[in-house]
Amino acid sequence: MHPGGLVAAGTPRQRKWPSKRRTPVSQPGMADPHQLFDDTSSTQSRGYGAQRGPSSLGYPAASASPQAAFLADPVSNMAMAYGSSLAAQGKELVDKNIDRFIPVTKLKYYFAVDTMYVGKKLGLLFFPYLHQDWEVQYQQDTPVAPRFDVNAPDLYIPAMAFITYILVAGLALGTQDRFSPDLLGLQASSALAWLTLEVLAILLSLYLVTVNTDLTTIDLVAFLGYKYVGMIGGVLMGLLFGKIGYYLVLGWCCVSIFVFMIRTLRLKILADAAAEGIPVRGARNQLRMYLTMAVAAAQPLLMYWLTFHLVR
Amino acid sequence: MAFTLYSLLQAALLCVNAIAVLHEERFLKNIGWGTDQGIGGFGEEPGIKSQLMNLIRSVRTVMRGIGCLLAVPQLEGWKIPGPWGPCN
Repeated sequence: MHPGGLVAAGTPRQRKWPSKRRTPVSQPGMADPHQLFDDTSSTQSRGYGAQRGPSSLGYPAASASPQAAFLADPVSNMAMAYGSSLAAQGKELVDKNIDRFIPVTKLKYYFAVDTMYVGKKLGLLFFPYLHQDWEVQYQQDTPVAPRFDVNAPDLYIPAMAFITYILVAGLALGTQDRFSPDLLGLQASSALAWLTLEVLAILLSLYLVTVNTDLTTIDLVAFLGYKYVGMIGGVLMGLLFGKIGYYLVLGWCCVSIFVFMIRTLRLKILADAAAEGIPVRGARNQLRMYLTMAVAAAQPLLMYWLTFHLVR
Repeated sequence: MAFTLYSLLQAALLCVNAIAVLHEERFLKNIGWGTDQGIGGFGEEPGIKSQLMNLIRSVRTVMRGIGCLLAVPQLEGWKIPGPWGPCN
């Protein structure tokens, strides 16, 4: 459908859309701190359609000409109008109800990243030893979006790293002639199951130790998802340089993730006094410190467990 | 490997069931974990033991209603479509 649309489009129409796309009124990132993403909605739905990508540029134009004769028929006209109103109603219903199950607006915060943030965060995941300030900046009681603060958790890197891990696992299995498509699904399911188990275990222990923390579940998923980056590095090095490379890189990534998790979680789980470096004695803070250490120590173990069978 | 989402679901169900069948009189009271034994008023912080007792009591209350419904697919051996794993 799309290639046919592109061919039948004709260049004059195609040239019309990009010019519209290049003149949106976009505000610079720091203008409105509560705005997670740049405002590209200045043009109406046509402009939105233009930003979908070049492959669909020709499609609306192409559909006009073959359907010209089709639309002349009043019955089909009415049917199309009815269908579009039904679709709009359905969309409204879904939008209203989906916020009940999946907190979409909260999720948007975790995906408000840009290239610089991703670069800095990846650097931090591999080398967290020189970073000084681990505190998340706040702005009027809400944490600042990740693109403005490198310490904020995000879900983009964990999601991308998870998918890349699945693909790299497939690649590793393929080079050893052990690949079959359902193994990919099995790897994904296994990694997801371990992640779920980790999240549940940590939530349970946070409940038992009665920690008053602002660590939400999604934050926890984000922090626990950062280990996939190290796993990818280890497996890739293992593919290139064999077991020695795998162990070296995995060891380095394990220590880095351990330090990263301790420094990040210390600010979230431990009381403020302890977070500033003063070793506060007392059973409660000791328990919280043990909890932080346990969470951080589980990361290297899981990183090894999920990748050692991929490198032979 | 073969640690799939479905096996996690099974394990969680079995654990919840294990907590739900703990007998109040024969067992919990004897080790001092009964529901009427631990609530120490509005003290400073609950402590792990009373949190655990609260958790056990809530699991038992919830399990008697909703949990039994959740256990039906497993008991009936229904196949749930989805990426659960080969032993679905």
